[in-house]
Amino acid sequence: MVHYAFMIPLFPLLSFLLHLLFRKRVRSIAPILGCICTLVPLVLSVGVLIARFQGTTYTKEIEWLSLGKTAITMGVVITPLNAMMLVIVSLVSFLVHVYSKEYMKDSERLGTYYSYLGLFTFAMLGLVMSVNVVQLYIFWELVGVGSFLLIGFHYTSLAARAAAKKAFIMTRIGDVGLLIGIILLYWKTGSFSFAAIFQSVASGGISQEMITVTALLIFVGAIGKSGQLPLHTWLPDAMEGPTPVSALIHAATMVAAGVYLVAIMYPLFLASSVAMTTVAVIGGITAIFAASIGLVQDDLKRVLAYSTVSQLGYMMLALGSGGYDAGVFHLMTHAFFKALLFLAAGSVIHAVHTQNIREMGGLWNKLKFTGPLFVVGALSLSGFPLFAGFFSKDAIFAAVYHDGRYVLFFIALLTAFLTSLYMFRLVFLVFFGPAAEKIYRENSIILLAPMVVLGILAVVAGYIGSSWFGAPLQRFLHDGTTSLPLEAHGPVWLPYVAILISLAGIGVAYVRYGRRKDFHHENTSSSPVTMLLKNKYYVDEVYGVIFVKGAAFIGTIFVFVERYIIEGMVGTLASTVQWLAKCGSAFQNGQVQRYGAVAITGLALMLLLFIVLTGGYLQ
Amino acid sequence: MNHLVSLLIFSPLVGILLLACIPGNRERWLKWVALLCTLLPLGLVFALGMVFRLGESGNQFAETMSWLSYAMQGATGTVIYAIRYEVGINGLSLVLLMLTTLLMVLAVIASWSIKHHVKSYFLFFFLLELGMIGVFAAQNLFLFFIFFELTLVPMFFLIGRYGYRDREGAAYHFLLYNGLGSLVLLIVFVTLFMVTGTMNYAELLAVLPSLSSSFKMGCLLALLLAFGIKLPMVPLHSWMVKVHVEAPAPVVMLHSGVLLKIGGYGLIMFGMLFFPEEFKELAGVLAVWGVINVLYGAFLALVQKDLKRVLAYSSVSHMGIVLIGLAACNEAGIKGAILQLLSHGLISALLFFLVGILYERNATSQLKDYSGLAVGMPVTAGLLLAGGLASLGLPGMSGFVSEFLAFLGLFEKMPIVAAVGTLGLIVTAAYVLRAILAITFGEQRSMERAVEINARERVPAFILLALIMLIGVFPNVVTAPLATLLDTILPLVRGS
Repeated sequence: MVHYAFMIPLFPLLSFLLHLLFRKRVRSIAPILGCICTLVPLVLSVGVLIARFQGTTYTKEIEWLSLGKTAITMGVVITPLNAMMLVIVSLVSFLVHVYSKEYMKDSERLGTYYSYLGLFTFAMLGLVMSVNVVQLYIFWELVGVGSFLLIGFHYTSLAARAAAKKAFIMTRIGDVGLLIGIILLYWKTGSFSFAAIFQSVASGGISQEMITVTALLIFVGAIGKSGQLPLHTWLPDAMEGPTPVSALIHAATMVAAGVYLVAIMYPLFLASSVAMTTVAVIGGITAIFAASIGLVQDDLKRVLAYSTVSQLGYMMLALGSGGYDAGVFHLMTHAFFKALLFLAAGSVIHAVHTQNIREMGGLWNKLKFTGPLFVVGALSLSGFPLFAGFFSKDAIFAAVYHDGRYVLFFIALLTAFLTSLYMFRLVFLVFFGPAAEKIYRENSIILLAPMVVLGILAVVAGYIGSSWFGAPLQRFLHDGTTSLPLEAHGPVWLPYVAILISLAGIGVAYVRYGRRKDFHHENTSSSPVTMLLKNKYYVDEVYGVIFVKGAAFIGTIFVFVERYIIEGMVGTLASTVQWLAKCGSAFQNGQVQRYGAVAITGLALMLLLFIVLTGGYLQ
Repeated sequence: MNHLVSLLIFSPLVGILLLACIPGNRERWLKWVALLCTLLPLGLVFALGMVFRLGESGNQFAETMSWLSYAMQGATGTVIYAIRYEVGINGLSLVLLMLTTLLMVLAVIASWSIKHHVKSYFLFFFLLELGMIGVFAAQNLFLFFIFFELTLVPMFFLIGRYGYRDREGAAYHFLLYNGLGSLVLLIVFVTLFMVTGTMNYAELLAVLPSLSSSFKMGCLLALLLAFGIKLPMVPLHSWMVKVHVEAPAPVVMLHSGVLLKIGGYGLIMFGMLFFPEEFKELAGVLAVWGVINVLYGAFLALVQKDLKRVLAYSSVSHMGIVLIGLAACNEAGIKGAILQLLSHGLISALLFFLVGILYERNATSQLKDYSGLAVGMPVTAGLLLAGGLASLGLPGMSGFVSEFLAFLGLFEKMPIVAAVGTLGLIVTAAYVLRAILAITFGEQRSMERAVEINARERVPAFILLALIMLIGVFPNVVTAPLATLLDTILPLVRGS
């Protein structure tokens, strides 16, 4: 089975090409074609996962670009982490393809939509099978393009245009860091392949400073893709894309690629305590920073977006604290419950035609399936006992506690409280309280079925990583390597504290938002803190001044250089030529005396030159 | 078989002769005949490519004929100076010839919109092709210079007669700068001839190492000036911006696609190969200069209001990558520089072709005049976006391979300079998206003519896009012919 792994990304690629080339003709069958082209990879991925479970790591590569003695290759490598990621990506992608059939059915550009989805899925699957860092970078950029195209799918909207542009440029800043990191690693270790790089790190073939520098540069790439501070601003804006896209790209897969990157380069990070600390601190700060913004936003999708940023911060915090298993585990559970939440949010938006939670309320009785599914996702995200998020968050707490950075541990706990608070603020505002005087219809089975699958996973996915069942996930992840740190076990009281915090958040949310009487409710608070949060700490405004205006300023300066210095140079050159020509033409005045004088002077000069140079003798 | 290269060089004459026989008012005839005649050089180049022996170093298909010779009294008796007709091709010239002849075909297809003086337009076209092919096939300095000059004349008329509003100003700018470059080039060539007594590349290569290094440095600096104008290097670029703005789209396709590449070709063949030691000494300066080119062009492209100017400054920026790659003096860098020459040739040809399509329909290329192009012209908008993504170095497209290799190369030698240069990658993304999205995204305005590109216009666009992606996905296709040339250059320039 594992020999067919290379075919996994080819089907979505086919989907991309077919949909793009025959946009108009395949329109009626576009969703079916898209679903088939992702169902096959899903089946293959599951097969590969099972094969990897029973076998060993599989590698297959071919030469892409020859470079002296070394050749840059492309290929497939199936490690436990990769096999797991393949299943997550192809599963969520398949479910989103199905969901989109109903959600996007009125779109005139259905073919284009499915082709972009195919491109993204192709790139994401290629990314998680990379044999070396160059292949990783190539697909890393391609997923960025897929994301860019889908964010800008509603291209007539100026907001979508701005968001797409912003997403591309912000992530590119990170990508350049990653590129430099890759190149430096190549010159220091002589190879692009993961194995050779880690070999060199282990054997001391690369200096400690260089390990730190390259690890930090690679982390810059992860910051950009995973929306970590300070490059997080694009991710909430990316919600301009269609909601299924947000579920796939900006919740479950691409934004987790940064976490995946740190995980796959883990031996490099482990070798530098500075890099590990940076990852942990950035992750921790991002987690609480984004969670606090999520408390006051009124756009359903934006709250979820800030939640994603915050949870990705959690994963980084776990990885930076030595909790490899915890970080990867949370990546998996988060993919399921956050995709579920986005799809449920899409279902709500599909029914009520607004994203503003202040115009919603009392939907529990009207959307009889969406409501419970959303609550399942919210409970899982809040770390409610026995839901998937509970186990993975618990593992993160244990790792951070074990690592001994108690400030970060405290931040993690506080973030958990904020998480359940903002999630249940959503639940109470959207599904409970007074309802609008309108009739909403529950969506069709095509929208609901993918949510049911994710809903089940948002509950049970936690058990494969739970020590109650012998932690099969952790054992699988450690298969074939010895370089990864073992899982940390926290103190006995930790799970109880975590449960308390989760419940406390839900309780506070109920007190503040669960008991309102009237449907129309404005956020009355305008305290400085609320305004600061509502305006997302004014980060966008600051960047707008520093970077956007800054770049335009440099450009304007260059325009002046261009106009006055360089054009001036040309002007001088031209006028010099003209002046010389005028001098020359001054002789041409038609008077024989002048011509004669010039001729005589010329002859005298030539003779003088001849005497000076040769001494007056011919050879 | 022995005269294949000569056949190739003079094959555009077939076009000139045939066109001369057709009355000037038969526009359709002229265009179709021109199109058919451009297929002849293309076919010949591909025939050459088929029989080109990959593993063999040096020139292939070399031809030598005595041309003119004269005797001079020297200190040691009579010396015969001979200038021969010598042509042949190596791997680099092969790929550049493929680019040239292919872009010729596409540019002729793009020239369907030319309405006035069609006959002389195509005559100039073929004359230009003759010059361009000759430049890459010449094997001595004298021939190189003649063909180099030969490209200037038709270009001058193509810009000055068929361009946009300020076409004559642009043509004179073009002539002034390039004339200056030619003058410097002529001085260097004549000096080399006086000192060494030969103009043949191979013979020069054997003689030059024995000359004094200050003399060689002087020659190299002069060459840098001459080819720096052509490439162009900041601050010698203003003529190029003018030409790109004022010349008609098909001419810009050729100019940006091929003629700028002569600068890079010259730097490699004469700068690097003839004066490797001195080139190495200048590598630091060149790297910084390359970075300046990249950033200066990119920041200027970011604030332009006219799509043509954005693309023109984008060319300045992208040619900086060539300098960066060459300055690295290692395999990755030189490969990157050569690929960048090709890649930029294809990408800028595609983008300028699309600008031509837009201009034809709406008589403007100002960014503010466009919005929501994707509504009325989805295919054009898609091509524009694809070209833009190629230009900003998206993997899977040719631009990524060349930029990656160029930076990979420079990071070995000058990591700090290279790191500053990578800032250009971000600014490039910003200016490309700013310009392209302003045109294609947004609400559609009531434009006079949002007519989708037709079948004839699709041919060049899709061929160019396919080639861009071919190089991006299978870069070895292009790098294979370069292997032996690199084997010659690398031992010369690689540091100890």
